[in-house]
Amino acid sequence: MAKTELSRKTKTEIEDSSSLKGTLASVFLLGFFLIITWVGVYLLFISRF
Amino acid sequence: MHMHKFEKAWLIFGIGSLLVFLTVLGVSAFYLGNQPPSCLATIDPEKVDTTVPFNEPGLKKVEGKDWDYELVYVASAFSYSPAEVEVPYGAKVKIIATTKDVVHGFEVAGSNINMMLEPGYISEHVTTFDKTGEYLIVCNEYCGVGHHMMSSKIKVVE
Repeated sequence: MAKTELSRKTKTEIEDSSSLKGTLASVFLLGFFLIITWVGVYLLFISRF
Repeated sequence: MHMHKFEKAWLIFGIGSLLVFLTVLGVSAFYLGNQPPSCLATIDPEKVDTTVPFNEPGLKKVEGKDWDYELVYVASAFSYSPAEVEVPYGAKVKIIATTKDVVHGFEVAGSNINMMLEPGYISEHVTTFDKTGEYLIVCNEYCGVGHHMMSSKIKVVE
């Protein structure tokens, strides 16, 4: 006789998606890139007449 | 409201950078007095040649102002008047320029002087020439068939 699936208990692995470390790193990489380029352009502006 | 501590970190960082940038802009505009090159000064484009100071383009020494010299330019298709000018090294100069016909550009290559000259408007820029050399002025707004030949020269001499 075929067994119904109802009684079989399966464990699904739930990945922990609450870690924001990668997001933090990418946000700050973008942030520093923007600041460095902004300061670079500003220094160029200051150094020329 | 629950907020992740990383979220707080990048929000503070982002808003902080924005405030720094805006402060620099505010100091530049309201304390140092930087403004757009064309700032509310107008002229009748038909009468440029008879309007002071454009009736005598070139470098003039002035007294009692924040700058030592005034450098007047009149642009027209496809040249600048004067075609060449010598500026003493270290002079604080106010460049005053306008156009007689169409929109022209006024860019001193390799410097911060970059203005648009529009008919009916006067463009101004105050600067101190603190590097000697020859500087090319080019038109960077397409103005017609002779656009690419439109240039002038500033020589900064000791």
